[in-house]
Amino acid sequence: MRRADIKDEPATYERLVYKNTSVYHYMRISLVLENESATLSAAQLKQLIVSGLRDLYGEVGGAFPFDLLKFDESTLTGVLRVYNSGLVKLWSALTLLGSYQEELCFFRVTQVSPFLLTLSGNSRELELD
Amino acid sequence: MYQELDKCPRSLLVCEKSNFEHEKSRHDTHVSKHYFNHKVSVVIPECGALSSRLASVINNFSKYFLVKNLPVYEFLDKDFLKNVVWNGALYALSYKTSIDQDNTIALLPNIVTIDLTNKSMDPEGKRYQRVLSGLKERVPLKSDFLLGRHNSGADGDRALQSLLSRYQWKEHRPVVSSHTLKDLPCPSLHALDLRGDQRSCDPHSFLEWLGAVSAGVSCDNTAASFLSTYVCPEPQTLVSQALHCTVSGLLLPEDIYSLLQELRRYFDEPKFTSWLSLTVHGFMDSPVSWGDAEHGFHKGGENFYNLVLFKNQDYWLHMGTGSHDRCPP
Repeated sequence: MRRADIKDEPATYERLVYKNTSVYHYMRISLVLENESATLSAAQLKQLIVSGLRDLYGEVGGAFPFDLLKFDESTLTGVLRVYNSGLVKLWSALTLLGSYQEELCFFRVTQVSPFLLTLSGNSRELELD
Repeated sequence: MYQELDKCPRSLLVCEKSNFEHEKSRHDTHVSKHYFNHKVSVVIPECGALSSRLASVINNFSKYFLVKNLPVYEFLDKDFLKNVVWNGALYALSYKTSIDQDNTIALLPNIVTIDLTNKSMDPEGKRYQRVLSGLKERVPLKSDFLLGRHNSGADGDRALQSLLSRYQWKEHRPVVSSHTLKDLPCPSLHALDLRGDQRSCDPHSFLEWLGAVSAGVSCDNTAASFLSTYVCPEPQTLVSQALHCTVSGLLLPEDIYSLLQELRRYFDEPKFTSWLSLTVHGFMDSPVSWGDAEHGFHKGGENFYNLVLFKNQDYWLHMGTGSHDRCPP
């Protein structure tokens, strides 16, 4: 049990530089459907992306994990998390995905970063007009 | 065979540990040299609402202006130079210009390429006349600008109003938003364990958790979940409530420093939490990150720093910049 009046010693200075140690990349994406009134669930979106990866890279090449951290059904926007080694494959699969249930669609990748924190401070979304 | 497919952009994260009361602590320099700030986010575990003092500091953040079609040479106006620029604390950044595809212009407190405070830029001098004619005739740059100025006198107000009156402009105030999160898994942190060896989680995991809180990402998924396996990093504790407050706009370093000073006083009275966090996001299209260090937007435009404040005035500072930026100071 610590006495209430004992204060921790102040920290000594320490500096660490982490280069290329981030494990994941994060992507903010939005899906645009030809039929603007159509919608899909989070699970359907993830399955769409999984099928896109499989079509482009095959069963083995496209079999790497990624997370759909967040998905908004009303705006069809979401946040993906992927291991660094899967970023190029995932991004290219999103680029080349062109249809959902026989209707035209495309993915827009609005932001990519090794820090999830960056995705919530996007100054390009600032609208003052 | 497909080694190129496994590559990804460089990531750089600098972490520092120190104490605010150390005479060599550089926290004030880090804050003051990060000129163009878009958003500030405060996370306080075990807190339900902003205190009146914190709310007062946040609500007193400086106003800023959006000026349309402002020619760059106007920054060399004699009256403006004398009463606004040379008094310091003026910040201007071109609005809605993407640094990876448009001309981007920024006015820093200390301009390097054209140092408006240098004696050679005396309005009666030849160098001043050459620069002015260059900006008016040879490179007639014009843009919408965000202008912010920390209060520094009536003459400065008059000169600024004189500039604004010649163009279309509008005043804006930073937008404040605050909400309380309930039953939140929260990392346990110990001030001495910056690396995350035992008593804290590692810096990347902690920043990921902060990003999850800011973005509203669920932190309690299972390993077998189809959608997401993200969970709060260990060691963790479950807090009954946590405050998340954001301020966005053109935020001046002076105001952010005032907020930091008030947050340092948060622990003057006993609190259940042992830490709180302040995140500052820079503008992604700012041409500089800290001081005059060049910043660019290649994939993400990262330009942020995060301070974790502890009870005994210890702090952690995390600084993240873009894939081609210089290492933060």
